[in-house]
Amino acid sequence: MNKKRVLYTLVAASALLLAACSSNSGSKTTSKAEKDDGKMMTVTVYDDLANYQGTPKGWFEKYVEKNFKIKLNMVAPNVAGGGNTLYDTRTAAGNLGDIIITGTNHVAKLAKAGLLTDMTPYMSGKTYLKKYKGATDSITKLANKKGIWGINSSVSSNSPTTPSEGLEPTTAPYIRWDLYKEIGYPKIKNTDDLINVLKKMQAQARKDEGKTDIYAISLFKDWDSTIMQNAGQNLAFYGYEVNQGFVLSKGNKYQSVIDSNSQYVKGLRFLNKAKQAGLVDPESTTQNWDTLYSKYQNGKVLFSYWAFQGQGAYNTAAHTAAGKGFELAPLENAKIYSVGSMPDGNSTFIGIGSKAKNKARLVKFINWLYSPEGVQVQQAQSTGYSAGIKGLTWKMQNGKPVLTAFGKKAFLEGGTVKMPAEYGGGTWKDGISTLNFVAVNQYDKDPSTGYKYGYVTWPSVLKLNATKLSKDWSEHMGGATSSMDYLTKNNKLLVGAGVSYTAPEDSSQISTMRGTIGTQVKNTSWKLAMAKSDSEFNSLLAGMQKTVKGLGYDQVYKVDLKNSKAKNALRAKLIKQYKEEK
Amino acid sequence: MQNVTADQPITDKERQKRHQKAAAKRGKQMWLLLAPFLILVVLFSYLPLFGWVYAFFDYEPPIPLSQSEFVGLQWFKMMVQNQTQMHQIFQVLLNTFAMSLLNIVTSFFPVLFAIGLNEIRNKHFKNIIQTLTTLPNFISWVLVYSIAFAMFSSGGMVNDLLQNLHLITEPLKFLDSDSHVWLKMLLWSTWKGLGWGSIIYLAAITGIDPELYEAGRVDGANRLQLIRYITVPALMPTYFVMLMLAVSNFLNNGMDQYFVFQNAFNQTHIQVLDLYVYNVGMGQNSLSYATAISMLKSLVSVALLFIVNKVSQKTRGESII
Repeated sequence: MNKKRVLYTLVAASALLLAACSSNSGSKTTSKAEKDDGKMMTVTVYDDLANYQGTPKGWFEKYVEKNFKIKLNMVAPNVAGGGNTLYDTRTAAGNLGDIIITGTNHVAKLAKAGLLTDMTPYMSGKTYLKKYKGATDSITKLANKKGIWGINSSVSSNSPTTPSEGLEPTTAPYIRWDLYKEIGYPKIKNTDDLINVLKKMQAQARKDEGKTDIYAISLFKDWDSTIMQNAGQNLAFYGYEVNQGFVLSKGNKYQSVIDSNSQYVKGLRFLNKAKQAGLVDPESTTQNWDTLYSKYQNGKVLFSYWAFQGQGAYNTAAHTAAGKGFELAPLENAKIYSVGSMPDGNSTFIGIGSKAKNKARLVKFINWLYSPEGVQVQQAQSTGYSAGIKGLTWKMQNGKPVLTAFGKKAFLEGGTVKMPAEYGGGTWKDGISTLNFVAVNQYDKDPSTGYKYGYVTWPSVLKLNATKLSKDWSEHMGGATSSMDYLTKNNKLLVGAGVSYTAPEDSSQISTMRGTIGTQVKNTSWKLAMAKSDSEFNSLLAGMQKTVKGLGYDQVYKVDLKNSKAKNALRAKLIKQYKEEK
Repeated sequence: MQNVTADQPITDKERQKRHQKAAAKRGKQMWLLLAPFLILVVLFSYLPLFGWVYAFFDYEPPIPLSQSEFVGLQWFKMMVQNQTQMHQIFQVLLNTFAMSLLNIVTSFFPVLFAIGLNEIRNKHFKNIIQTLTTLPNFISWVLVYSIAFAMFSSGGMVNDLLQNLHLITEPLKFLDSDSHVWLKMLLWSTWKGLGWGSIIYLAAITGIDPELYEAGRVDGANRLQLIRYITVPALMPTYFVMLMLAVSNFLNNGMDQYFVFQNAFNQTHIQVLDLYVYNVGMGQNSLSYATAISMLKSLVSVALLFIVNKVSQKTRGESII
């Protein structure tokens, strides 16, 4: 009967649907080497660091296509938004990606669920992966399973107490030096002075430009986690770091994030004082990184926490030649936190998904990322990082690395220079690696040149970079040649030993509490920063403290404190180990 | 005929049997007609209830449910383990109820709008108004938010205009403030849904017998009286059907609107139940806990149903279930 058939079809269809829903990918771990079919293939890269989604176009993509027969397809949670949604849905479906770049805190579960590939059968001849055995070992330890499941990023051959930075610290107060000069280089004893200075600078800038939309400080929320990321930058001014979760530390001194006197709350107070003085851009609460970056480019913001933001956007060749640009502010009571080099890498790793094809080729690709050539090419940015393609952007001259004429255009003049046809055309800037992955610290020595990877430290480039701006800055900073030079000489640097520590996984209850508390802390932080008066600030703060305590803050803090102490103990051990080796 | 009767005498019993057979056949056919919908109901209303088991496990992707730890009522206990947590959930329920209630209270707006529209005599003008007010319904909330952002953010059109006119010195915080959130949300949803909601009433108005109006006019009724004594009473049945549907959707007040409008400043008052579940589950990575909270919705729905039933019993003397 016809209707019966319809019914059967329907039942069958729904049964199929159900089967499709419940068919769960079993965990499969093959440790036999699979053969490479040698064909061009598309590789899906799940990348927590990427700011690009889809198939990249440009010289880096062409480079990989030519050398590895790999077309990249980027999956970027940063672009997709929505927190963990992408990670959760992809992992629940049993395939995160062919290449996986994510936090080391995920290693244990990914390995348990069989989503990672053991690279052991493909390791022969992979010199560079073997070179950083400490890093692959640390992933093995986290996976709690024999095999090579991945390798940490930012590995280094330097000692853990060597700063991982080159010329500029990771975080420090940067101000528009030309305006600081205009108001007569007033002394900046502490952050209160800094606010007064910024106030004068803002007034000066508005007068000079005749515009009222210039603000000393402008913020964004893209990188917020359980705390407001911008306010957290203040920690680094005084040697503090977010050690674990809600625990801040300076050496072996620990603080709770929400304490009224914690460095984090001080950071919020700094922002709020600036807000009350009319120095904070009202668009701070809604804009994103891109909008803010273009404001920096247009000279609408006068203070920055990072060199890559202020200097990266505003210190163009034209500006610096005119004496304009961002430079380190002489904050007298500062003790800038410097991130130490990490022999075993930091808390992001790269691995291969269990469903990937041609795994041998992918291991070869990852090995290349850690090779001198890979570091130079893949870690080249539009400006300020690795030196790019040998023969195109840089070359050896009398045994020393120098930038070529093309390289100077690419790195020092905005990066809009057109790539030669053999590299696929397009501009330099638009073609840089979308992986945004630091395999090896760029201030490590490049064994092929004997100099550091980062071209900014090359003597030939340092000479080039002397501009009207840098000369003026140097004159007023006791002849320092760079920010790091100034901070080291004046004993204003505190290096947090670089250790690869991944906290043991939270119990599910702690992790749930951490989530609700984090939302509360983050949201209230924004309200605090934008409070209209000190009394509003204090009452909001007291309200937050009460709420998060009610949500179980003390329990979470206890876990974080334990982990922080474990991390510092590991640091001490690592430093001792290095001293003994010497 | 007689032959047939002679060969096969039809007894009453047999007739009954045949009748039954035919009825059974028809019943089967009817059932088959119904079956696809039953399947849909099972697929989309009952099958998802299976998801509730996640509330009793410690589920974290990528570890499959089968390997997750059974934790019993841990997540439910967590919901009520301390006052702050309960207060948060209470606030969420309050938001849900308040915004739903506001929507129901204002549900007569489309009626007024339809009546007003109907009174416009210029056909072109009427069409333009109707098109312009219906259009927003087809814009997704994401786009509505982009419009809202372009107009009302600190650097948006309205603030720029007011500042250029020197009416204000600091931008007004339309979007990122915690004041009057419920009201603002109501205004947005009214703006979006008013035209669309009035369509059904316009149709109902067309269905009113013109003779009634003629008779009214003959009796000397003016326009307002026509509306009051003819149009409004004629629309009431439709209105009550729509109202009932709205009440039954009390807890389903959607989440996309609130999702796009939420930010650090207004989250306390904008989080409705669905959004809260999403934020906890997806944003804070606690899928099991979120499942437990989402079960609240069913609980509240059942409670509401019983209350409405009781009210119905008391007022109408008969229950609906």
